[in-house]
Amino acid sequence: MSVTTSQSSVILSVQSAGRVYRMGEVDVPALRDVTLDLQRGELLVIIGPSGSGKSTLLNLIGGMDRPTSGHVRFGEMDLGVISDRELTRYRRFEIGFVFQFYNLVPSLTALENIQVATEMAGDPMDPLEALELVDLVDRADHFPSQLSGGEQQRISIARAIAKRPQILLCDEPTGALDIETGQQILNLLLRLRAELGQTISLITHNASIAHIGDRVATLKDGIVESIEINERPLRPEEVQW
Amino acid sequence: MVISAGPILLRKLLRDLWARKTPLAVIIAIVAIGTGSLIMNASIYRDLKFARDDYYREFRLADLSVSLKRAPESAVRLVEQTPGVAEARGRVVLPALLDLPNQSEPITGLVISMPETNEPILNDLLLREGTWFSGPEQAEAILNHRFAEANGFVAGDRIKVLLLDEQHDVLVVGTAMSPEYVYLIPTDGGVAPDPARTGIIYMPIKFLQRSGDLEGAFNQIVARTFDSSPAALDRVLNVIEDRLDAWGVTDATPRRNFPSVSFLDSEIQGIRASTTIMPTIFLGVAMLILNVVIGRMVAQQRSVIGTLKALGKSTTAIALHYLCFGTFAALLGAAGGVVLAYWLQGGMIAMYRQFYKLPNLEARFYPELYVLGVSVCLIAAAVGTIAAARRAASLHPAEAMRPPPPEKGGSIILERIPIFWSRLSFRRRLVLRAIFRNPFRSGVNFFTTLLATALLITTFSMRDSLTYLMEYQFSALSHEDLSVSLREPVGESGSREILSMPSIATVEPQLNVVCDLSNGPFSRRLAISGLPRGNRLSTPLDDLGQPVPIPDEGLVLTDKVARLLDVEVGDSVSLRPLIGERRRVQAPVIAIVKTYIGLSAYADIQYLSRLIGEDYVANSLLATSFGSEGWNLLYNELKKRPGVIGVARRERALEQMEGTMGETQGRVIVILVMFSGLIAFGSVLNTALVSLSEREREVGTFRVLGYTKGEVAAILRGEQIILSVMGTSVGMFAGTGLALLISKAYDTDLFRFPATILPIRYFHAALLMVLFVALAQAVVRVYIHKINWLDALKIKE
Ligand SMILES: Nc1ncnc2c1ncn2[C@@H]1O[C@H](COP(=O)(O)OP(=O)(O)O)[C@@H](O)[C@H]1O
Ligand SMILES: [Mg+2]
Repeated sequence: MSVTTSQSSVILSVQSAGRVYRMGEVDVPALRDVTLDLQRGELLVIIGPSGSGKSTLLNLIGGMDRPTSGHVRFGEMDLGVISDRELTRYRRFEIGFVFQFYNLVPSLTALENIQVATEMAGDPMDPLEALELVDLVDRADHFPSQLSGGEQQRISIARAIAKRPQILLCDEPTGALDIETGQQILNLLLRLRAELGQTISLITHNASIAHIGDRVATLKDGIVESIEINERPLRPEEVQW
Repeated sequence: MVISAGPILLRKLLRDLWARKTPLAVIIAIVAIGTGSLIMNASIYRDLKFARDDYYREFRLADLSVSLKRAPESAVRLVEQTPGVAEARGRVVLPALLDLPNQSEPITGLVISMPETNEPILNDLLLREGTWFSGPEQAEAILNHRFAEANGFVAGDRIKVLLLDEQHDVLVVGTAMSPEYVYLIPTDGGVAPDPARTGIIYMPIKFLQRSGDLEGAFNQIVARTFDSSPAALDRVLNVIEDRLDAWGVTDATPRRNFPSVSFLDSEIQGIRASTTIMPTIFLGVAMLILNVVIGRMVAQQRSVIGTLKALGKSTTAIALHYLCFGTFAALLGAAGGVVLAYWLQGGMIAMYRQFYKLPNLEARFYPELYVLGVSVCLIAAAVGTIAAARRAASLHPAEAMRPPPPEKGGSIILERIPIFWSRLSFRRRLVLRAIFRNPFRSGVNFFTTLLATALLITTFSMRDSLTYLMEYQFSALSHEDLSVSLREPVGESGSREILSMPSIATVEPQLNVVCDLSNGPFSRRLAISGLPRGNRLSTPLDDLGQPVPIPDEGLVLTDKVARLLDVEVGDSVSLRPLIGERRRVQAPVIAIVKTYIGLSAYADIQYLSRLIGEDYVANSLLATSFGSEGWNLLYNELKKRPGVIGVARRERALEQMEGTMGETQGRVIVILVMFSGLIAFGSVLNTALVSLSEREREVGTFRVLGYTKGEVAAILRGEQIILSVMGTSVGMFAGTGLALLISKAYDTDLFRFPATILPIRYFHAALLMVLFVALAQAVVRVYIHKINWLDALKIKE
């Protein structure tokens, strides 16, 4: 990936993006007009009440969906207009996803779940190395149903980072976990960012978690209400849950 | 093929398949039967067709045969010079009574002349054992190989042959096969093969000419034509018949009407039909079930598909992955089918070899048919899976990650009838909603149980029809113990002579005359039976099974003949006997009766006698006996009468038919019942399991509310029970209709099948269906017990 504009550290920019869902006769605007940049290497936390459009925004960033208005640009690519094929390649090579409910393939082992991602990526890690990074080498041959929620989420993170994506997108990664496990997961994400240097965008509806972000975008009714810069992001264990 | 786009997804594929192994195994079995029956039937079709065509060609089976009273060599030349004829050969064919050392019962034989040396000729022989004749006038015979085998004859044995009025002590020099007699129906009539009574023997031409009063002449001419298409053959045959008229043509037959040829043809046609019918049914059912099962799998793996898309798997890779589920089942099924076909083909050919004496009939391996079978199977599986694969591929990634949209459709159509709906218990409502909310799956369940039931009914109807046919032909229509056929028609003295023999209780004369019947453009050649007034041993019956009195003048036609000639009661037909004065007369049609075998017509024996220029004659004597103890004496008496050319026992004909057709049919029925079972079981099992997986949470809720597993299973079962009961009920009608259709399709000059289904069969079919469905439900119960309801409740879709 070439750096687009000279000294800018913007890796991806969302420009007046909107997303309207048609539900039969009515239009549901999930996202109205969002403008926001993702800075290289930062941790951008997106918060907002349920239904405010957080997931919709993350999906646009991750190339899972296209805006119905406005643009999402990654380098010279406008994700709204490129072909499905290119969009798939974008997801494959540039993006790592971590979901609230882990979404591991139930009929594949932990290791194989990582291999699903690495077997088609450009310059992936060794899947075992990814497992090592999340400290679950001994669980390599376990199926998801034999793992705890936290372990599943760690596998899911290993799967996301194993492709060496530029951007890691996490949609409420702690939403289904207890406090302690949630903190572990957040620590893991931060540690990995320190080692690998991805840009992370993380959704939460828990306002206190927002304190760990470099910047915090607050969404409401499909628009960005505010973007705050945290001068001193907290460590996960400092957060009051 | 790069299975499933990537080795890891291949692993997922295999594990997903393994997790569904039981229902999948049933689908695979269904696919295997579909593919196997395609390959097997297509192979058998080729085996038989090739063996037949080769045999007919190499041993030069004639395209036509003309029987005459007496034809000189010049008549043969005349046939040969007829345009369209390639070659012709004169032969002597004489009926004979054979007296076998191992058997008291006399056997009607057919003695056919062969040249004194073994040279290639029309209707040639394939010498199997022994040698050719040692001289032109020798009393030597070559026996039909199967006839010899069945009676234990070998070269060197002797056989007594009664020709005209002289008994000859004939030396057996060899055994042979002929393309003319591939299917060995007894020489004295009948429809089931009976090699021991098919006394076809070959003797030197000079010998037969001398002992048959045919010095320098023939009584049959066979010929090969350049164009053997039916139309061309009929044209040539007409010309020949005209040209030979002076020599008294008694019969002119195109090859397709030779009894053996015609039986073999209809068998081969039947196999050809099976080549498409069975695979269509089985692969069709497999397709439908796959559609339901893979469709459910895609719905279940919705978020997995979303995740794979999020990870960057391409649409094609995902479509391919789900397509592979079908393909994989198909591959395993095809492998099973290939093994099945390879294995069964040999057995089937061995069975055909018992019925059809074709020298080169072997189970051959046709790689291209295997390729065809496997391809058809894969295509069927792909078609069955494509809808689900497309749904998986087109699933929008962001969409897929959201929880699935709430259960589709609030109320079903029945809820709009409040009077009905409000009376239902909530369990019934649940069942009805489940049925109506998944119209496709419900349709599959309904349709496959319908199909299985229809298959059962048709199968049973085959059995009932044959039983009815045999009972009707051999017991309702005829009541004699034995019938004696005479060489020449004789007057009343013949009956008296038989009546005086040991064991004989009553005798009824009958006159059988081959006649040409025609009405405008429609014509048929058939034997008219002249029956005496007050006939009791041969009693034609009308539609309602009532005996029809034989009119003094005019004809009683069977329904098939009436249809062929396009006449009704009150019309008249043109009639010309092929013996006697051969005068053409107009005969009124007085009544119509029903028969299922062959073509026949009845008239008063005196009326028919007059038509051939006689007063009152008979050439067949039907008799009843006091019991079979004295029959050996009777046979000995009969063997001494030169006028007798055959003795047939009604019992024997019936037994033979039971034994061959009945036995083969019995096996076919067992197989078809198992096939129906597999269809019903497989489809109900699969649809029930899909329904179960869809309703896991619903039922989990019931469990939490305190319902027992049994109560929950009962609620689940309702869906399949209602659909299966509906399918079975409609299937009864469909099966009845199908049986009617099949009986229409099998309407030939040789055979008609009454579409008979005993009322109890509906009960049998219902019982079997209950069994199949219950078996499937029993397996489902095992799955219900395995499910952890609490997990089902916790897990989000
Ligand atoms: N595929 C969709 N179809 C219809 N409405 C949708 C769809 N996806 C999201 N929405 C609606 O858009 C709004 C925003 O949804 P989402 O982005 O998931 O919110 P959040 O993640 O902040 O809870 C919600 O009202 C939601 O119901
Ligand atoms: Mg969300």
